[in-house]
Amino acid sequence: MIVAERKKIPELVEILQGHRKILVLGCGTCVTVCLAGGEREVSIISSALRIASRVGGHDFEIRELTIERQCDNVFIEEAADTIEEYDAVLSLGCGAGVQAIAERFAEKPVYAGLNTSFIGILEERGMWTEKCAACGSCVLHKYGGICPVTRCAKQMLNGPCGGSREDRCEVRPDRPCAWQLIYERLKKIGQIDRLKQIETPKDWSVALDGGCRVIVREDHRI
Amino acid sequence: MNEKPLEIYIFYCSNCLDTDALNKTLAEHGQDSAFKPIGLPCSGKLELVYMLKSFESGADGAILATCRKGECRFLEGNLRAEKRCEAVEALLEETGFGRGRMRLVQMARDELGLISDELDNLTATIRDG
Repeated sequence: MIVAERKKIPELVEILQGHRKILVLGCGTCVTVCLAGGEREVSIISSALRIASRVGGHDFEIRELTIERQCDNVFIEEAADTIEEYDAVLSLGCGAGVQAIAERFAEKPVYAGLNTSFIGILEERGMWTEKCAACGSCVLHKYGGICPVTRCAKQMLNGPCGGSREDRCEVRPDRPCAWQLIYERLKKIGQIDRLKQIETPKDWSVALDGGCRVIVREDHRI
Repeated sequence: MNEKPLEIYIFYCSNCLDTDALNKTLAEHGQDSAFKPIGLPCSGKLELVYMLKSFESGADGAILATCRKGECRFLEGNLRAEKRCEAVEALLEETGFGRGRMRLVQMARDELGLISDELDNLTATIRDG
């Protein structure tokens, strides 16, 4: 899922200055699960903004609303009438959600209330870790299901860098060395010989370096 | 002194604080504050947003009374409450309302004096601005 975290209240106040009627719009999908932009967080951020408005004399009038998914027009339409009533939208969706709302309401200021951080999973209660860099050319099958692009700080594709201490990453000692994990995993599944294969340079043209990516499925474009 | 009465919420776990005893303490505490006691089956029931809403609706300060560590009937309700209390303090600082208005008191039923002491401290902090 997409993992995000909220912006601090002073930054939000600065972003929203100049607007009075503000709709704080949550998203019921990824950002709900990562406790950043669901109904509960909409309520918390709205409440904090009302207090900040009172303390700072900003005169914000804030309404709360959460839709099922901000990156899908079907769900955006459910909120259309409400959005039209407000001067600005503070979206607590991911970056895709914010842009979907902005595209649908071309004349309405739409602001991001979250910093969208990465694609990851819940590792333990209250802790999310990055697992996928969306590089466009997945190599997980070669590394026992452990991604060196995302989880190795140096993105090494042909073995460890040699800087790890015990099983810890040299760059982030709080994280395990991805190559230690890859080695142990390949050994467990009987594929350790994969490490003898030389990995040629990765195709980065399909990653973000090539600009905004588009996927077209002609079989669905009738 | 004609200072505006302070509005102070007291969220409390009913396992560590008796309602009648609390009301008696609050009645004895003076008339310069309006107290709003809110009893809970466990302090772990207290969501962050409930605390924040009290400040949004005009509270000057709030106290959260929980059982002492290791004494929660539901094992970790008081630990969760403590973390949420810290989160509210951080959020209030972000809003510009300032720190020191959300107080945590970890206590047993026979330690009612801790509430009284914390009310004094909280009132003084708010009055001193």
